[in-house]
Amino acid sequence: MGTLIKKDLSSPTRPKITKQFFYRKVIPVLFVLPILLIHMTVVLGPSISSIYFSLTEWNGIGPAKFIGLANFQKITTDRQYIHAFQNNLIWLLFFLTIPIAMALIAASLIAPLKKGGLFFRAILFIPYILPSVITASIWKDLLHIDIGLGGVAARLGMPFLNIAYFGRTDTALLAAAFVDNWHWWGFLMVLFLTAMQSVPQELYDAAKIDGANRWNEFIHVTLPGIRPTLVFMLLMTGIWSFLAFDYVWITTQGGPAGASELLSILVFKNAFQRFNAGYAAAIGLTMSFFAGIIIGIFQILRKRGWEI
Amino acid sequence: MNLMRRFVIVLVVATLLLASCAPSSTQAPASQQTGGTTESGQTSEKKPTITLWLDSGGDATQLQCMIDNIVGNFNKKGNSFTVEAQPLANSWDATRTAITGGGGPDIVITPGPSFAYEMAKAGQLLALDQYAQEFGWDKQFLPWALSLGKVDGKLYSIPHEIETLVLYYNKTVFEQHGWKPPKTIDEYLKLVEDIKAAGLIPNAAGNSDWKPADEHYWSIFVNHMAGPQKVYDALTGKIPWTDPDFEKAIDTMNQLFMNGDFMGSLDRYYTTKSTEFLTALGDGKAAMAPSGTWWMGTIGNYFGEKANNSNDWDWVPFPTTDGSPLFTLGIGSTYSINAATKYPKESAQFLTYYFSPEAQSISITQCGIAPAPINLTTQQLKGIDPRRARLIEELSKAAANGQYGYTTWTFWPPKSDVYIYDEIEKVWAKQVTVQDYLKGLNDLFQEELKAGNIPPIPERK
Repeated sequence: MGTLIKKDLSSPTRPKITKQFFYRKVIPVLFVLPILLIHMTVVLGPSISSIYFSLTEWNGIGPAKFIGLANFQKITTDRQYIHAFQNNLIWLLFFLTIPIAMALIAASLIAPLKKGGLFFRAILFIPYILPSVITASIWKDLLHIDIGLGGVAARLGMPFLNIAYFGRTDTALLAAAFVDNWHWWGFLMVLFLTAMQSVPQELYDAAKIDGANRWNEFIHVTLPGIRPTLVFMLLMTGIWSFLAFDYVWITTQGGPAGASELLSILVFKNAFQRFNAGYAAAIGLTMSFFAGIIIGIFQILRKRGWEI
Repeated sequence: MNLMRRFVIVLVVATLLLASCAPSSTQAPASQQTGGTTESGQTSEKKPTITLWLDSGGDATQLQCMIDNIVGNFNKKGNSFTVEAQPLANSWDATRTAITGGGGPDIVITPGPSFAYEMAKAGQLLALDQYAQEFGWDKQFLPWALSLGKVDGKLYSIPHEIETLVLYYNKTVFEQHGWKPPKTIDEYLKLVEDIKAAGLIPNAAGNSDWKPADEHYWSIFVNHMAGPQKVYDALTGKIPWTDPDFEKAIDTMNQLFMNGDFMGSLDRYYTTKSTEFLTALGDGKAAMAPSGTWWMGTIGNYFGEKANNSNDWDWVPFPTTDGSPLFTLGIGSTYSINAATKYPKESAQFLTYYFSPEAQSISITQCGIAPAPINLTTQQLKGIDPRRARLIEELSKAAANGQYGYTTWTFWPPKSDVYIYDEIEKVWAKQVTVQDYLKGLNDLFQEELKAGNIPPIPERK
């Protein structure tokens, strides 16, 4: 039996809602509340439900049957999953190197420009704001055999370039990555350019006095100066690489023969074509897990004193 | 006091914000009560509205024609309710999601019997038997057609857009070279070599804009080479998919694909859109195109004056081993009634009109949409291209005589269906042998058979 303590609500010791408390605590919560509720409805709710559905056999229509970890067991022996995961690693490697290198080179070339910098920045940024369906459809035609750029190259005496880039198992994934990169690297370039412009000029002047050339300046002044932006974009690229879907779906739909199949494509096919929504949820969770690993690595490095 | 007033204002603003985020209607399904206002300003009696969601991803002209001339005509007939047809992008995904959430349209359209089958098993569709009897649907449809919509002996869906696979050919090119449309598989294979020798592409084809197009060719070769009886036996679990006749059929198809007899080469096949292969057929760069009858309404655009060439086209049934005509049947979509509808009878009344010869005649003659499997008279087909009229006539006759096969997208369960067109490309890429491919199909199919996921299969005659 517990002791019933009767509080005197009219007691003068009762905490009073002060004006300051109201403004500092209540008002911000009220303003955040609508978006919090929306977020809980459209993000948190489905996220939690997808954890549940990953433990079920569900066709996406009727009732779900609880099967424990069977979907995750299946993943470990699913050849399609392993192949798609390997493709995701290739995709990750591609986007951690090619666009980052392109963006760094372009930004470091544009940064010193006194005139015309804005023009180049705008031109290279435009692909990023084009809808993926338009970009991918245009490149599908541009990389078409005979009638695309390959056909032009063939007429100029380079027939070896006239191939069906999206139709060959050895080129389809890289062709889709190329198209995705075409829209992506301009965005990276603008971010790096902005970061480079905030590096103090004095550092470059000091480097010049020390006899540094352009390359030395880039390695010893520019890169350390933009490190927070660079590392953040490496982190985001790592996470986004596991979510890549639209460019591959529009250009190849994961084909031919699964050559460009990514985990996201596998999720779509299982959920909407094979009536395997439970398994699709399990694959989706593993994608979140891989993204979580990347974030975890960065957190560990940060705790160990890395300035990132 | 001032503080309280501000608190109330903030609360009201927050409430309004939340209210604006809420759905406009919580009524499920999407049936509405529409009322009008009379001239005197009094509200008239509310008239129910039943809804159907149509996919806006196809031919926009055909869709608008259907809304104006079929749904519109129905609404003009002075019924006690109105029908609202709403075009939606990816309407099937929207329908499936809404119905799982307890809402959705009153009339449910699915992409085929296997999808309707899954929904019926989940209790999301209304059994239609009483309406079929009351409105005489069983007399209106071709005998095999309604059986496709049955689950555990009850009718849940009505087939629409009857499809089959035929061999289109460039009639002018054939005449110039003295070729005759093939009747047997041997004649077809010989013709493929002759066409190649003449420097043309034997078969115009491509799956760039529709990856599942692979299954069109799979359906053709398996049915037309192994025969529909064998396919029926496998679909009903009497024989496995590893049967040597299926292996032979897949082998023949593989050889043709790997030899470049479809669009010149495999990589070209993978990157050719449907408009491109039809153009190749129309221009005479390709001589034949084994494909679906869904092109019947538009293939004429690739021939003659419209396409700046002087060519003409025609079709024949795709050849069979023994030369007898065979039509591999498919259903493009199905219509059902949402189990949660408030207006089941009204929905059934609309379906009765929609599948009537009057509406289906408008559908095919004015909108160019493939008709439902119902009996249509020659008069009701007046005005359509004679080649298309011939197809409808021959198809009805063949179906009545049991000369029909089974398309994968209509009669295979979903996982096996996706396996068929996803994995066949791995055989073409020489990553998997034909034997392993068929074994994988058989394993998956037996699982789905055991789980009771096979759609109803029309029996052989």
